[in-house]
Amino acid sequence: MAGRAATPSARAPSGRQSRPGGASAPLRRLAGGRASGFALIAALLALWQVSAEHWVRSENWPPLTAIARAFLDGMRSGELAEVFGSSLYRLAIGYGIGAAAAILVGLLMATVRIVHRALEPLVELLRPIPVPAIVPPLILLLGLDDKLKIFIVAFSTFFPVLVNTVQGVRAIDPVPLAVARTFRHSRLRTLLRVALPASLPYVMAGLRISLALALIVTVVAEMIAGSAGIGYHIVTMQYAMRAADMYAAIFVLAAIGYLLNRAFLLAERRLLHWYRTDKTE
Amino acid sequence: MLERLARGAGERAPGAALILALLAAVEAGVRTGAVNAALVPPPTRVAARIGEILAGGEFAGPLASTLWLLFAAYFAASALAIGLGLLMGRYRAIDNLFEPLFELIRPLPKPALLPPLILFLGLGAPMKLAIVGLGVFFPVVINTVQGVRGVDPVLIDTARTFGHGQRAILLKVILPSALPFILAGMRVSLALGLILAVIAEMLAGTGGLGYLVLDMQRSFKVVDMYAWLVLLAVLGYALNAGFGRVERRAAHWALARPD
Repeated sequence: MAGRAATPSARAPSGRQSRPGGASAPLRRLAGGRASGFALIAALLALWQVSAEHWVRSENWPPLTAIARAFLDGMRSGELAEVFGSSLYRLAIGYGIGAAAAILVGLLMATVRIVHRALEPLVELLRPIPVPAIVPPLILLLGLDDKLKIFIVAFSTFFPVLVNTVQGVRAIDPVPLAVARTFRHSRLRTLLRVALPASLPYVMAGLRISLALALIVTVVAEMIAGSAGIGYHIVTMQYAMRAADMYAAIFVLAAIGYLLNRAFLLAERRLLHWYRTDKTE
Repeated sequence: MLERLARGAGERAPGAALILALLAAVEAGVRTGAVNAALVPPPTRVAARIGEILAGGEFAGPLASTLWLLFAAYFAASALAIGLGLLMGRYRAIDNLFEPLFELIRPLPKPALLPPLILFLGLGAPMKLAIVGLGVFFPVVINTVQGVRGVDPVLIDTARTFGHGQRAILLKVILPSALPFILAGMRVSLALGLILAVIAEMLAGTGGLGYLVLDMQRSFKVVDMYAWLVLLAVLGYALNAGFGRVERRAAHWALARPD
């Protein structure tokens, strides 16, 4: 496969949990080494509030207090919950379908030669398409409803997981596979009980990239072909000149992005506690 | 060389056959009326239209505008991210200052920032450059920091022993050692930058390849829509392949290392 997979050791694209910064680094961080960083954030927020109240009188630049009020109103009326619920629902289904399909196809491609040779050019052809570009043709084929968004999320989830699964199975230590053969395990059993767990660090790295991508794509699809959901809500609030509601939704979206990533890291640590991230270094 | 090419072709024969079979099935489906030609045009007509676009030079304008947007934002944001990443990776105080802010902004899906950016910057080039730049910045800065932290301390001590100053150490020891990480971030950013360029063009509606795909769909010129979509896919493929070449040249020593 021409594109390189994200290796679990250098979980390059979007993570920073392995920080070889010396043994005392975590302690110092707990002790408030990053106080200056939090002070910077507080200063920026204060600047926002003061500038919006006194210097920049603009509909586009509401003070934080107005945004907080919009957030509370949105929570109380249930509007925000509905908007985010519908997006997360589609995200979960699309992500699940895309990931399951990718792991299945990835295992097949990595173990059955002819499948790899038949599918690889097609994958290489589809993978580099920038996702927003496939929204217009899909609108024609699938309409504007859930089907469209679920498909797009599944489509964009598929490729990072696939590439990483193939790479992960290829990187497996041949000894366990030989042992499984010695014990006369069937091919299927070897695949599910040996190959899949052994390649899990790679698969998980792909799944994590895909999760961030899936959230982006959900928002994008709702912006271009919107009828509901976060992306549509944010664009609608911008058109309606309800800037405070728009910012409130963006803040909630940021929180959701953060929480999804955190939750994934937790799950990953539980699943992969046996895997040392510094293995290849 | 020839032998390798022939072997490569043999490897790829089943894949190419599958793609051709799929295209032939679509073509047959449209011709027999099983597939609605208003929604799915025959691949041969799309191919003919692509030929026209390429021969007539129609592609030059939109391609240039998309590429200009992408590259201007990509290189500016990457340069900034590498510079800041080097400092953050090297000096704990700078890292402490920026890390919490970046951790706050990073998980936000960047397309969500388009509406506020449109409010402030309008629909023109500044808005598009800003959103692409924002998308590009974070993967590069995070990878740079990680790359700098991963530099073998012996290298730095050696450079110091030979009397090199901080500046020389940063630029001549740390930067090259961190390069594979930086390039990995830049590769992710390139794909992300193209995605954001396309969506910004779609929402702004003022030109570029992304705008054309959406515009053709809205005016039901399905053949044109698919033709531009294929060209956009080719651009994505070419950018990735081009980056791969640059990466191999710039960091061949790191990629060759067996892992």
